[in-house]
Amino acid sequence: MRATRSIDFAALSLQDALDLAVLIEEEARDRYQEFADQMEIHHTPEAARFFRYMADNEEKHRSTLVARRRARFGDATPAVTRTMLFDVEAPDYDEARAFMTARAALETALRCEQKAEAFFAAALPQLGAADVRALFDELRREEIEHQALIRRQLADAPPDPLLGGDDFADEPVGQ
Amino acid sequence: MSLPPNLTPQDFKSDLKPIWCPGCGDFGVLQAICRALAAIGRPPHEIAFISGIGCSSRIPGYTAAYGFNSVHGRALPIAQGLKLARPELLVLVAGGDGDGFSIGGGHVPHAVRRNDDLTYIVMDNQIYGLTKGQLSPTSPQGLHTVTSGYGSLESPVNPLLYVLAYGAPFVAQGTPADMPGLTAMIEEAIRFPGFAFVNVRSPCVTYGEADQQIKIHKTVMRRLEDLDHDPGNRIQALEKAETYGQALLTGIFYRNPAPRPTLGAVVRERQQQLMAGAAPRDRILDMFVQH
Amino acid sequence: MVEDLVIGMAGSGGDGIVSAGESLISACAAMGYHAMMTKSFGSQIRGGESSCRVRMATGAVRNPGGTLDVAVALNWEDFLKFGAELPVGDDTLVLYEAKTGVAPDALPLDGVTPAEAVAVPIADMARTATGSDKGKSSVVLGLLAGWCGIGRDAILAGIRKKFAKKDERLVEANEKAFALGVQYAEAHPLATPRTIEPAVAGEPRMLTDGNDICAAAAIFAGCDFFSGYPITPSTEVMQLFTREIWKYGGAVLQAEDEIAGIGAALGASFGGKKAMTATSGPGMSLKTEIMGLASIAELPLVVVDVQRGGPSTGMPTKPEQSDVFQAIFSAHGDVVRPVLAPTCVSDTFEVTVEAFNIAEQFQTPVVVLSDQEIAQRKEVIEVIDTARFQVVERQRPDAAELARYERFRLTANGVSPVSHPGMQGGNYVGAGIEHDEHGDPTANGRVHQRMNEKRLHKLDPLRERDDLLRIEGDPSAPLALVSWGSTAGVCREALDLATAQGLRVKLLVPYLLYPVNERVYRGFFATVQAGLVVEQSYLGQLYRVLRMMVDVPAGLESFCRSGANPFRPAEIVRELQLRAGKESR
Repeated sequence: MRATRSIDFAALSLQDALDLAVLIEEEARDRYQEFADQMEIHHTPEAARFFRYMADNEEKHRSTLVARRRARFGDATPAVTRTMLFDVEAPDYDEARAFMTARAALETALRCEQKAEAFFAAALPQLGAADVRALFDELRREEIEHQALIRRQLADAPPDPLLGGDDFADEPVGQ
Repeated sequence: MSLPPNLTPQDFKSDLKPIWCPGCGDFGVLQAICRALAAIGRPPHEIAFISGIGCSSRIPGYTAAYGFNSVHGRALPIAQGLKLARPELLVLVAGGDGDGFSIGGGHVPHAVRRNDDLTYIVMDNQIYGLTKGQLSPTSPQGLHTVTSGYGSLESPVNPLLYVLAYGAPFVAQGTPADMPGLTAMIEEAIRFPGFAFVNVRSPCVTYGEADQQIKIHKTVMRRLEDLDHDPGNRIQALEKAETYGQALLTGIFYRNPAPRPTLGAVVRERQQQLMAGAAPRDRILDMFVQH
Repeated sequence: MVEDLVIGMAGSGGDGIVSAGESLISACAAMGYHAMMTKSFGSQIRGGESSCRVRMATGAVRNPGGTLDVAVALNWEDFLKFGAELPVGDDTLVLYEAKTGVAPDALPLDGVTPAEAVAVPIADMARTATGSDKGKSSVVLGLLAGWCGIGRDAILAGIRKKFAKKDERLVEANEKAFALGVQYAEAHPLATPRTIEPAVAGEPRMLTDGNDICAAAAIFAGCDFFSGYPITPSTEVMQLFTREIWKYGGAVLQAEDEIAGIGAALGASFGGKKAMTATSGPGMSLKTEIMGLASIAELPLVVVDVQRGGPSTGMPTKPEQSDVFQAIFSAHGDVVRPVLAPTCVSDTFEVTVEAFNIAEQFQTPVVVLSDQEIAQRKEVIEVIDTARFQVVERQRPDAAELARYERFRLTANGVSPVSHPGMQGGNYVGAGIEHDEHGDPTANGRVHQRMNEKRLHKLDPLRERDDLLRIEGDPSAPLALVSWGSTAGVCREALDLATAQGLRVKLLVPYLLYPVNERVYRGFFATVQAGLVVEQSYLGQLYRVLRMMVDVPAGLESFCRSGANPFRPAEIVRELQLRAGKESR
């Protein structure tokens, strides 16, 4: 098995598509957890809380999808693996920054929902089976809903202070 | 027949939380390594990950494999001793540009010429991060740092040319800006039978130059496979390697199409030749007995 | 007839005087003598002045001896360059090349009148035998065989063995040269005969040097990996490994530098294999950082330091005992590093095996502090019965321990079972950075304190190992000698000499230099009013370490000087007598 086997969208079955969707959520969940950890050890609790919240959301989506998959296909061995995915909905590592504000964390999440929407949108024309197309379109629309949700949170979020964490922080510490 | 365990990248991560700055390129490198290892499918206890000192040298601790976070610049000798002693292990070596091309630079040619089956991943950020932003051996000439306040007077080491010149049989360069490409080349490097070198342009988010960050890499990087590059051609590889410092070329620069046997292989051959008929260890002193 | 004969010879490298010594000692081994040969050279790689001393005896030989019984000078200029290494005294028989044109009563010996001096046409005989003046060494062997009664057949067998590898004509020419030497001796009887008692041929003996037996001991102890960098006078250790270790499924790496040499060995130890490196002072300086790494990563490792004159390049071909501070203290941080020292070729075996055992038992680097003299001198020794020696293996985690493995678990004795890559469930990260029990990095002061305590106190049982220090002589004696390394062999003879002269003396020889077994020293010093710590370094380094660790008697003094100035038993007895006089006043 190669680390970077690509997805053959045309050949994707509904089971594969559901499995892929599960893996996308799983990848995003794990990355948000990593980000939350990073923020915690770098003493940025607001961003950490938000990333933890995102990880919980992704886990909820994942478990919903897992249930659907179980109901339809039971425990049949999946044909797709996480090695086929690279940061579909998971934030890119360079999205993280020391002293991220809550707003910056929200903006990161928004970009991720947009990224995920773009993934499903780009895949749609390549898909073969109608039920798979229907699933991907549903997932794409969900990402748009998530974007709207985050936008609302952004509207409520306080503006970033004029001076950021970097402006007050101590010098980095040599090790 | 028992099937190999179905390993995921998560199986190769430890519970230890990285101390790297948020946004550091090394997070992507860690992810790429774990994915490559999952693809290869050897269980973590059969993998040993040796490093020196520096931000990037913390990486073994963030994996579930055996690791040795040793002293500055000495990862390669330690890894070679380990590999000779336990050839069955998958041995990875990692460190930064200072570890590999400054304090430990003298070890690189010898690891290359011995050609044991190691994968050496350098996280090249062109700066000293752990000690707060001093000039590194790969820092561009003219760079202003805390130890080159008026600009660096020295031209940088070219890591790609360095190892190619000594005859490295596998040379690649990647960036966490291209995770699929980076993961693929690390996997291929591990699978390559012999000394494989991967230079990862892994940006320092705290002390690195603005034009050396992942977002910029995404726009300036060019894949060798899009440039009609023949990785089996060493001369082409040397030509492409010359661009280090000007362009950001990624992919496999050189993969020796007819690699010579590894050091481990010739050692085993010699052992097999000589092991037959050897006196047992408790008769070793017989060689000194006079009759 | 004498029971003990010390022969010293010097010439130019081209004369093959050291080869003659090698033939002689190999003949001694075949005949059943005890013997010891030391070599000494100028700093030229080829053709410089060279010399050797062979001491042969019907009983045990414990050091290269003092004043020569027989001196052989192929030319005076070269002979005199060795100064105190080839001392001529009133009782010496001097044989020298007649071509030097020096009259027997006008030898350039600075006031010394030897018992007898004979000018011998050595070069002429060589020319007659071989057609050139090469072959002088075989003539010398013939002279020694004739005048000293050393077995001719045994020497001839050695000559044949040596030259047969080259050419049959060479064998014949050298046999002829040897015969001419014998005939000359027979035709010119000595005024002061030097015939040695015949040896009792019996048990087979071993002929080897300290470096070779050190490497062999390592292989016996289970060493599977050696890596190092060539450095005089330790290189022969690596050379033996390159011949032998493959046969045991092991490997050797000639590293690119001293640091890589110890690094690769540590890597092999991390891999669960016993590993060793060898070097001399300059290499020790470079290896220091990785020795510290081995200490904090708690990995077994044996580091052999064959001491030479220092500091820096110093005197690469001369012995000195001036690396004690370095071996013990060259570490940053709080480190206790066991340091062992052999005193002769034979006990280099047990010391090296012990070094591996200690390294394995306590998961620590151990230094074997050999020196140029022991390392490069050849000795005829009793055959060592390897069945007498235990081999210790590091403690590995069992299945229960692996189920919840913590590499650096704080155990009662401080030793934590150690896994290695490949062992399922034992995964951990070894590190030079301070770490907790699991191996995770930490900068916590309390953890650091606990880990230092673990690493230092796990070595406590070593301080209780009384067998690693040996006391000889009268246990209640008021006079004492303390000596270590090659110098201990001189003190052993001095002890016998002094005792024979009626002095009440005892000798303490520490094989474990560090950590210091304070109890043994305290017990030893309890009866002591005066004494000497004898060692070959300007500072008297062991003496200073003892002063630091133990309350030494006021009368205990350092008797020390720089390397390449070997101690002789008689002078140590003289020093003791001086102290004995003071003591009785």
